Amino acid sequence: MNINVQTRHEVTAIDPEKQKVLVNNLHSAIEYWQNYDQLLIATGARPVRPPLEGIDSRNIYDVNNLVNGSLLKQALAEQQPKTAVIVGGGYIGLEMAEALQMRGLKITMIQRNVQVMPTLDPDMGERLGRALREKGIDLHVNETVQGFEHKDGLAFAVTTDKGTIPCDLIILGLGVTPNSELAANAGIPLGPKGSIRVNDLQQTETPNIWAAGDCAQSYHLVSRKPVHAAMGTVANKQGRIAGMNLGGQYAAFPGVVGTAITKFMDTECARTGLNEREIKALGLHYSIGLIEGHTLPRYYPGSSKICVKVLAEKGSGRLLGVQIVGGRGSAKRIDIAATALHAGFSLEDLLYLDLSYAPPFAGVWDPIVIAARMALKEG
Amino acid sequence: MLVIIGGDAAGMSAASQVRRLQPATDILVFERGPHTSFSA
Repeated sequence: MNINVQTRHEVTAIDPEKQKVLVNNLHSAIEYWQNYDQLLIATGARPVRPPLEGIDSRNIYDVNNLVNGSLLKQALAEQQPKTAVIVGGGYIGLEMAEALQMRGLKITMIQRNVQVMPTLDPDMGERLGRALREKGIDLHVNETVQGFEHKDGLAFAVTTDKGTIPCDLIILGLGVTPNSELAANAGIPLGPKGSIRVNDLQQTETPNIWAAGDCAQSYHLVSRKPVHAAMGTVANKQGRIAGMNLGGQYAAFPGVVGTAITKFMDTECARTGLNEREIKALGLHYSIGLIEGHTLPRYYPGSSKICVKVLAEKGSGRLLGVQIVGGRGSAKRIDIAATALHAGFSLEDLLYLDLSYAPPFAGVWDPIVIAARMALKEG
Repeated sequence: MLVIIGGDAAGMSAASQVRRLQPATDILVFERGPHTSFSA
């Protein structure tokens, strides 16, 4: 591709006046200034690491890139840990619980909220929590980690507001924070949660400086507000938009609807749009449609349970959000809802969608459509 | 000269897009870590 990529080179400062960046070559520790005509900040995000006693112990792992992923894999092979505590029941926590349990570890998961997956409503998160417990995860909710007992650089127990949990290994899944200090120090304005403020073209408010990916803000199409959405899908799209504009074309990023999906063993979950907490924060009134159904007609082999929750604005019927928890074949249905949110659908728009049907794939009424009908009944 | 700070999903997506559109533009990517674009 003829792109000059300098790995192990860290940019430590931006001078927007003189249009240059200070680069530290981490191989040689030599620093130098590099001029630019256009600058793109794509510094990503980093895992949240609260300043707790013992958090720097060697057996406490973040799982956010290739380097620490392979460090963890190496430690699993060499030290053969038997027990792990996963702090945080979000996407990383859930996926690591699955991966470590499949390797034979006994898992305790600690979640400070009322339920796992706090981006789901508590009633939907509870369904997922039940699945975790049924599969042998020792799930602690409403519990807050206060520190780590450690000796010789290794943690051997997690202390919480409710007790002490001994373990061989600890995984942190507490979310991410944007790497925006470089931008902030250069006087570039920030947006929600410290993400770099950009327009739809991915331009910052400083001339000739752009930002894209996990370090940058997005626009939320449902809340109609700026948001920090650190997702690989968003990063690829924003990078492409920035690249098209930098390459002399014109492209605008339409925004996000907050779609996400994951699974633990056979239980899948997904969400898009706003949850009840987010809707309440906007002061909107809403109706709920909740159904328990099946992914396929019940007579057809391989059908699994699915629970769908649809949230819509009172009066207008505007679709606000959808959440799914269920067995195999459940969660990817969220894409119907994500598309509907992009299109600004109301509940009525969902009702008679010409969705695909044949018994190996779905029932005649898709569970999302049935849930929309329930929400509509509620007004 | 286009300078890109960060060589993962967003940085490398942008770099490859600019390269396709403008074969002659100088593109210089600085990546703090040892890998580029492990997830893109």
